[in-house]
Amino acid sequence: MPRGIGKIKIRLPRTVHKGQVIAIKTLITHPMETGNRKNKKTKKKIPAFYINDVNAYYGDKLIMHSDWTTAVSANPFMTFYLKADKEAPLKVVWKDIKGGVYQKTVQITPR
Amino acid sequence: MYRLVTFLKMFVLTAAVGLVFGTFGSGTPAQAATKSSATIEQLTPSMSYAEYKKRYEKYYGDATAQMAEEGNPADFLLDDGKDLANKVVGSKGKSCASCHGKDAVKLKGAATTFPRYDAALKGIMTFPLQINTCRERQMGAKPLKYESYDQLALTMYIKSLSNGMPIRVSIDGLAQPFYKKGEATYYRRQGQLNFSCAICHVQYAGYKARANLISNNKHHADHWPGYRLKWNKTGSLQRRFRGCLKNMRAKRKPYESAEYRDLELYLTYINNGDLIQVPGMRM
Amino acid sequence: MKGNDFSHSRREFLKKTGLASAAILSFSALSSIIPVGGSSGWLGARDAEAAAEKGEDIKEVLKSTFGSRRIKMAKVNMKVPIIAENGAVVPISISSDLPMDKGNYVKKIYIFVDHNPHPLVASTDLTPASGKAAFSLRMKMRKTSPVRAILETSNGTLYGSTKTVKVTIGGCGG
Repeated sequence: MPRGIGKIKIRLPRTVHKGQVIAIKTLITHPMETGNRKNKKTKKKIPAFYINDVNAYYGDKLIMHSDWTTAVSANPFMTFYLKADKEAPLKVVWKDIKGGVYQKTVQITPR
Repeated sequence: MYRLVTFLKMFVLTAAVGLVFGTFGSGTPAQAATKSSATIEQLTPSMSYAEYKKRYEKYYGDATAQMAEEGNPADFLLDDGKDLANKVVGSKGKSCASCHGKDAVKLKGAATTFPRYDAALKGIMTFPLQINTCRERQMGAKPLKYESYDQLALTMYIKSLSNGMPIRVSIDGLAQPFYKKGEATYYRRQGQLNFSCAICHVQYAGYKARANLISNNKHHADHWPGYRLKWNKTGSLQRRFRGCLKNMRAKRKPYESAEYRDLELYLTYINNGDLIQVPGMRM
Repeated sequence: MKGNDFSHSRREFLKKTGLASAAILSFSALSSIIPVGGSSGWLGARDAEAAAEKGEDIKEVLKSTFGSRRIKMAKVNMKVPIIAENGAVVPISISSDLPMDKGNYVKKIYIFVDHNPHPLVASTDLTPASGKAAFSLRMKMRKTSPVRAILETSNGTLYGSTKTVKVTIGGCGG
């Protein structure tokens, strides 16, 4: 729906307390083509193009890794959780099968 | 694939016809023959709003809570809409921001009084139409195509400035006949299935049409343009009208046609007082 | 009579195309008009299509992923809508109260949709730093199907939950 590929939004709670488990909500624009869909006009199959690998780093530590298949919806939305026990950047990296790498970093500052 | 689609269409038709005769056929007022558009069919809700809400919570409660908890994909459009409001276009070298302040912030609250009567148009002015009219007259720019990405983004952004403010649409004076027309459209039976908007959303709100719970007409006008899971896209209230009319197998009118504008006035007026919350997110 | 005329001319036609009438008698009306030479190719294509339509079998997928380990149907809370008007976007959230301590935590969360061509939707690795065994996503569903969420802990225990989501096409919701 939104224009372009790889536009990212990451939402954090407004205030983060130290040691609190927080939800990280992420959204990225990507067509997530399965490879089974046909172009209605040309009747040709649209080649597969999807994100298959997602990693989240808190500081320099990998805290979450997800393997995706074509069954994840277009413009994938994802929520994962994190124990905010230190002040560090959170980096989320998406990789697609054509070698595209999309990433965004947000700072987590617990009070 | 084509055969599958045809089969499904036939199935839907059969099911819908079954619904007409099955659900509506047992001596209810709805069984009365089609009335002329001049008179308004007397329909009463089958259940109180509280009862409807209870059913809604039972059926869709989890899904709605889940959606509220998650993000709204339409948020992307808000950022792009903001950029569009500041972008200079057209022959007069202006942007929305030239008149309405940076990021068009002076338009806060502007969306609450729409749709309203417009003297130049001699009809009802809806919010998207107002934006396009303003672009043409004041900026010398081309009108944006309805339901296009830019049009939705700009409308959504400017409308979102009024978020949290109650809708206060007026139907006094010259708007009155258009309100009456909108009401007549709402109650007019149309299409192969011979439904009106009111039959579902007034009389049978809270019952099911196939697997869907029919929604009550309260809170129908406060969250557009909004994101719908069914579309996996953002769309306007008028796109929703057209979707419903298609399912009624009725003739559809183009966006911002007089009939839809009047209908939008009626629907917004009966929801006066609702707080604007754009972009909305629905099933 | 018209019918006789038709069948006569049809027989003539078949004779002209060189097929023995004795062979035709054993065929039904429909199969006799299909060229014999092309029939195997035609059926072959249909078979391939049917196989692709069928996709992977969930039982085999589960077996290859988890072996013969038993899945306890407990401790997993899965939220999915009862119906989805658009199978391309079905929200799913999974959460669990299982501990996330250093020595004992939820290692993996799997999401399966039984009737998808490839049942596995996503598999997520968690660490104790996650603090909570939970994950949400929006997924595609080809048709009405059971949805399974399976959690694997660091010591190899499996917990699962399953719910059915109805995917309606057309629907009444405009």
